[in-house]
Amino acid sequence: MEQTIKETIRYPKKLLGVNPNDAKVSLAYLSVAFISLLIGGLLGLVQGLERAGLIELPSWLNYYQVLTAHGLLLLVVFTATFTVGYQFANLSHSFGGLLPKVRTLAWVGFYLMIIGVGMVVTMIVLNEASVLYTFYPPLAAHPIFYVGLVFVVLGIWACCLGVFINYRHWRKNHPGQVTPLLAFFAMGVFVLWFFASIGVTIEVLTLIPWSMGLVETTNVMVARTLFWWFGHTLVNIWYLVATSAWYVIVPKIIGGRHFSDKLIRLVVILLVILNIPGGFHHQIIDPAISQSIKFLHVFMSLSIAVPSLMTAFAMFAVFERTGRKLGGKGWLGWLKKLPWGDVRFLAPMMAMLAFIPGGAGGIVNTSNQLNQVIHNTMWVVGHFHITVGISVVLTFFGICYWLVPYLSKRKLTPKMNKLGVIQTIIWTVGMMLMSTSMHIVGLMGDPRRTSDTTYGGHEVAASWIPYEMVFAIAATLLLIGVIIQVYAVFHMMFLSPKGQTEFPVAEPEEHAPVAPLWTERWGLWTVLLLAVIAMAYVVPIVDMIMNAPPGSPPIRTW
Amino acid sequence: MKQAKYGLLLYIFLALPPVASLMESVMIVHMHMQLTLLVLSGFLMGTFFKQRFASFFNNWNQSGVPGVILAVVIWAYWMIPRIMDETLTMHSIEIFKYISLPFLVGVPLRDSWKKVSYTVKHILYIFMTINFIVMGWIYVAINQQICNNYLLVEQRTLGFGSFAFAACMIIYGFIWIFSERKEHQQSS
Repeated sequence: MEQTIKETIRYPKKLLGVNPNDAKVSLAYLSVAFISLLIGGLLGLVQGLERAGLIELPSWLNYYQVLTAHGLLLLVVFTATFTVGYQFANLSHSFGGLLPKVRTLAWVGFYLMIIGVGMVVTMIVLNEASVLYTFYPPLAAHPIFYVGLVFVVLGIWACCLGVFINYRHWRKNHPGQVTPLLAFFAMGVFVLWFFASIGVTIEVLTLIPWSMGLVETTNVMVARTLFWWFGHTLVNIWYLVATSAWYVIVPKIIGGRHFSDKLIRLVVILLVILNIPGGFHHQIIDPAISQSIKFLHVFMSLSIAVPSLMTAFAMFAVFERTGRKLGGKGWLGWLKKLPWGDVRFLAPMMAMLAFIPGGAGGIVNTSNQLNQVIHNTMWVVGHFHITVGISVVLTFFGICYWLVPYLSKRKLTPKMNKLGVIQTIIWTVGMMLMSTSMHIVGLMGDPRRTSDTTYGGHEVAASWIPYEMVFAIAATLLLIGVIIQVYAVFHMMFLSPKGQTEFPVAEPEEHAPVAPLWTERWGLWTVLLLAVIAMAYVVPIVDMIMNAPPGSPPIRTW
Repeated sequence: MKQAKYGLLLYIFLALPPVASLMESVMIVHMHMQLTLLVLSGFLMGTFFKQRFASFFNNWNQSGVPGVILAVVIWAYWMIPRIMDETLTMHSIEIFKYISLPFLVGVPLRDSWKKVSYTVKHILYIFMTINFIVMGWIYVAINQQICNNYLLVEQRTLGFGSFAFAACMIIYGFIWIFSERKEHQQSS
């Protein structure tokens, strides 16, 4: 008996999709993700209509409350829960099932996150935490809001621990082998997540006594720096999750093979090592960081463009190669051979295309002089609506159309596929309208994070109004998109016809060289990541602490 | 040989006056980045010297230990705070920096690395870790300016930076002992 248990632990069978336990974990996370998307999306529409002056919120609900909830529910809860659900499914598929203790850790993480989100949302609803989704001081929320965030981080750490345990177990039992690509991506995502969350954890732990009145003041600059250590990295965690689907899933869906295994792993390693210091470009207009440090950080931020451009090259090479194999002729004939009618391809493809202007906008944000022009404007909001709203979220949506039916042992019907295509079109149009108008009106000076921008009817402010109307139209389209997507996900979870769905994992090209084993040196990558963090953060943080101005007391502006 | 070319390019880049003066303007960048990159440039160029002067290295660095000792002595010299001042004020010391670190640390280290045993490698690793800890302690604990050219705050920053690197080395040491060493042994 004992021997059998040992064998099961050492060589778990391919359980995912058969064993309801692993699938249940992922489905639970995905359910929370899409409930959050529904609420967050609704709040987005409310915000868009209020901003355009088409509705006036009742006295018990203010714009900043809605903005905080919209940001946290979508940028933190939706993305985090989706990522965990998807990554654990990948891990289970790649490793032939999760270890029982890892599954337990995933559930622990789930409940910790639920408790945390419950506390955070309650405080926002009670109007005790309208601190925007960035939640750094001097705006002070109720202490329970920060405690809730601690629970969310603990939940993420439980999941990280689970992934690390499962990875080590697999490596121990497969000496001399590289891990399957999806599991490699999962390691990258959770290593990055763990180290990203350290910054925000230190910040939040200093804010709890401050918000309780036990400490009179806090160092705002340090808190902001620690927040962006996490905030910027979070963006790249989503990006890494999306690229896992682009590199490994999409080639299979289009009938091709994935690009060089070594290049893919190198992209993951580079994204993990170089990512965190990028947070400084969010602070380009902050005082207390010297010009030379900001200059050095431009390089650190732009270094992310290297793996991003490698990804762009690799993906389009795969598309062209596959298109030509399928009979595509001429310069662009191969494009016609791609399966545009398949939502599992269309959605991530739209996401990838949106990343071209999105990435270019990111370079604008990173550049010192250009950032001075756009920093506090709607440009920035437009930027993250095109990057997160399309590049990340549409990839997530595309994943749902094979992952959810696979997990719930159902089929993706042609009807559901058609609905997905319609949803993708509505979403792309809505998000492009929203982000384009935001980018343009941002260049015209329209400020972000501001509920009323009429400025007494000034003519410059009046010129923004047509664009704000476009926000409202786009927000309406996006809510329709959200409703369709949420319907599709829960339909595929509970109502679609029973059957088998493929977990599409691309194979390498024939005779492709095996990825070198050195790519698996996660200990070394982690230490290099820490060294890069030290190089980036020691100078400014020591300066901020040693030359600190008087700290700020808690401020409540609402 | 590709590596040697990259090493030479890095060396030329580091020697460009604007690059050198920018790196030397911040104490921690000067000590942790410029010095390390100079060693790295020599390490990369080492492939060329090993090939060109093979008999010299075989005669004088047969076991690899002399090379390691030379590297350690020169590195330790560059850890003395007043040398930072001297390199900024005396041209001869600045020139010595650009010769000693690549060619008396980087190159011999490259030649020695494959020759020495794991024990020597571990000793060197432990030496570097202790070196960072002691430096960190000196630069953080002393309340006086120990370099005329750098402010007290920069000195402290360098101290904390050294602690951070020591922490990285200790963490990696543990990772090596408890996981990667076994894998390395299994795969070799």
